[in-house]
Amino acid sequence: MPPLIHARGLAKTYRLGRVDVAALRGVDTDVEAGEFVAIIGPSGSGKSTLMHILGCLDSPSAGAYELDGEDVSALRGRHLARVRNRKVGFVFQTFNLMPRLSVEENVALPLKHRGGISRADRKARARALLERLGLAERLRHRPDELSGGERQRVAIARALVGTPAILMADEPTGNLDSHSGAEVLATFEELHSGGHTILLVTHDPNVAARAQRTVELSDGRVV
Amino acid sequence: MTLFESIVTGLDEARRHWGRTLLSLLGLVLGTGSIVAVLALFGGQTALTETYINEVGGAGTLIVSNRDQSADPTPRELAADWLTYRDAAFLKERATSLALVSAGWAQSLTYRVDDLSFRGQVIGTVPDYAKINDIRPMAGRFLSDLDVERKNRVAVLGWKFADSLFGAVERAVGGVVHLDGVRYVVVGVMEREELYFAAWSGNALRYRNERGYIPITTAIAQYSANDGDAISFLTLKARSGVRPRTAEQQVRALLYARHGFENFDIRGAGTGDNDQEFFLLFNFIFLVVGVVSLFTGGIVIANILLASVVERVREFGTRMALGATPLGVFVHVLAEVLVVTVLGGVAGLGLGMALTGVVGHFMQMPAVVSPFVGSIAITTALGVGLLAGIYPALRASRLSPVEALRYG
Repeated sequence: MPPLIHARGLAKTYRLGRVDVAALRGVDTDVEAGEFVAIIGPSGSGKSTLMHILGCLDSPSAGAYELDGEDVSALRGRHLARVRNRKVGFVFQTFNLMPRLSVEENVALPLKHRGGISRADRKARARALLERLGLAERLRHRPDELSGGERQRVAIARALVGTPAILMADEPTGNLDSHSGAEVLATFEELHSGGHTILLVTHDPNVAARAQRTVELSDGRVV
Repeated sequence: MTLFESIVTGLDEARRHWGRTLLSLLGLVLGTGSIVAVLALFGGQTALTETYINEVGGAGTLIVSNRDQSADPTPRELAADWLTYRDAAFLKERATSLALVSAGWAQSLTYRVDDLSFRGQVIGTVPDYAKINDIRPMAGRFLSDLDVERKNRVAVLGWKFADSLFGAVERAVGGVVHLDGVRYVVVGVMEREELYFAAWSGNALRYRNERGYIPITTAIAQYSANDGDAISFLTLKARSGVRPRTAEQQVRALLYARHGFENFDIRGAGTGDNDQEFFLLFNFIFLVVGVVSLFTGGIVIANILLASVVERVREFGTRMALGATPLGVFVHVLAEVLVVTVLGGVAGLGLGMALTGVVGHFMQMPAVVSPFVGSIAITTALGVGLLAGIYPALRASRLSPVEALRYG
């Protein structure tokens, strides 16, 4: 079986005014299904760029990338949106919940964007996940009525609701106090032991230590 | 995301940001409102104009009159005959497109009853004149064929003249009136005629109440024997089913052949009226105001929407990360503006109806907000919304997810 993530020679160059800035200079990486991997490195090392490309939010300037057996390096627009929707679950540092939607509606959002799933079905799946993550009491609350840790667990539920192949998190504990951060990390570990593949970007060594394996980036290259 | 969900989301956005919604609605409501009012007043005015044209003979009525001689007439023009009573007989015989032909002789004469006298218009004509112009006597009768044949010295008075000369309409019939010293027996008084385009615009049919009719043959014999049988105008009625334009062309050709020169004008009854031109201008100004406010409203909506898109760049970025397609985001933003603009259109329709009522009441002008006008208002609002929404929606849908997520 091929690795879930199979990337070769990934490069990304941005144009900043008149100068080209290379954020990635040829990265090879593989992630097997069921792994818990942390991408680490100082800021500006290209770790966020790498995760954006691996998460199909962005396309590489050069290189090949296969996600779950599908070559996605040439996909754009709605095709890339479809891959994001079905194969990737995102968790952001700032949670990025819709402030005007209830917890339940927030979690159901990826299914709504996928289309073709009935409202009742979307709700049922959102509820099941929220219950599993201990948020059954919060279904009808708005995000601003929740604590930071709770918000991030809602975001994790939202990332999982579409049964993606991989869960990606960008500094998921960066905006949390240590207690909530530990709570969220425990959730990730739990999900990992339940069989989920997790890719996490962090500059915090304590967070990275919880992963099975780390990929360290420096100046756009794996070191 | 289905269209229905987009609309629900749009409504929800509009409700949550009601201040913003209200602001963007203002221009739209005012614009739609004034367009509705204009169309309604215009519709009322058009209906009135139609009534007026019907009053003065209907759409198939043509009036032929002598044209002024040119400043430097050619011998050919000088040799041409002016309109004559014989032209009427000629047209009656030859113009197949006409149903009725009446000759008219018009002059200002002195009316006198006992020691009361004034100058006023006298029309020398034939019985068909009443049919063509759709005028009826309220007392006595109109002129008869026998009157014309025998050159009877009988007169039919307009309502106002009968009232002024005899003090009461009832006393006029059977009375005696002298026109430039010639004695006539009054055989009839015509109905009072009134039509107001607006309360302040005066009776458009007043001239009909202030005149008298005598047989055309009597008029020619008594007052213009030296001019042969010259007359002032011909009033013609096209056959039903014949287009006025066709009748006009035939009459023009026939008279041209007979006169050898086009020294006459033909026009439809009720055209070239000052009042109507005034109203057209009035409507035009209102319409311009409406279009300008709609345009302004559209720009305001586009701006507010753009601001709201910028405000929510992160939200769109997140939605894209969760799998929203560019088209999905486009529809999402557009649905929001469409919901707002339909609301604006409905509110504008309401405002327009109120405006129509108020203006119609104070200016005493008839006005109708028809379903047609209503649908125009809603359609216009929707059109403005679409135009205003497309750019912001496009902007939102073209965001790169990474940049959108990084924003703010």
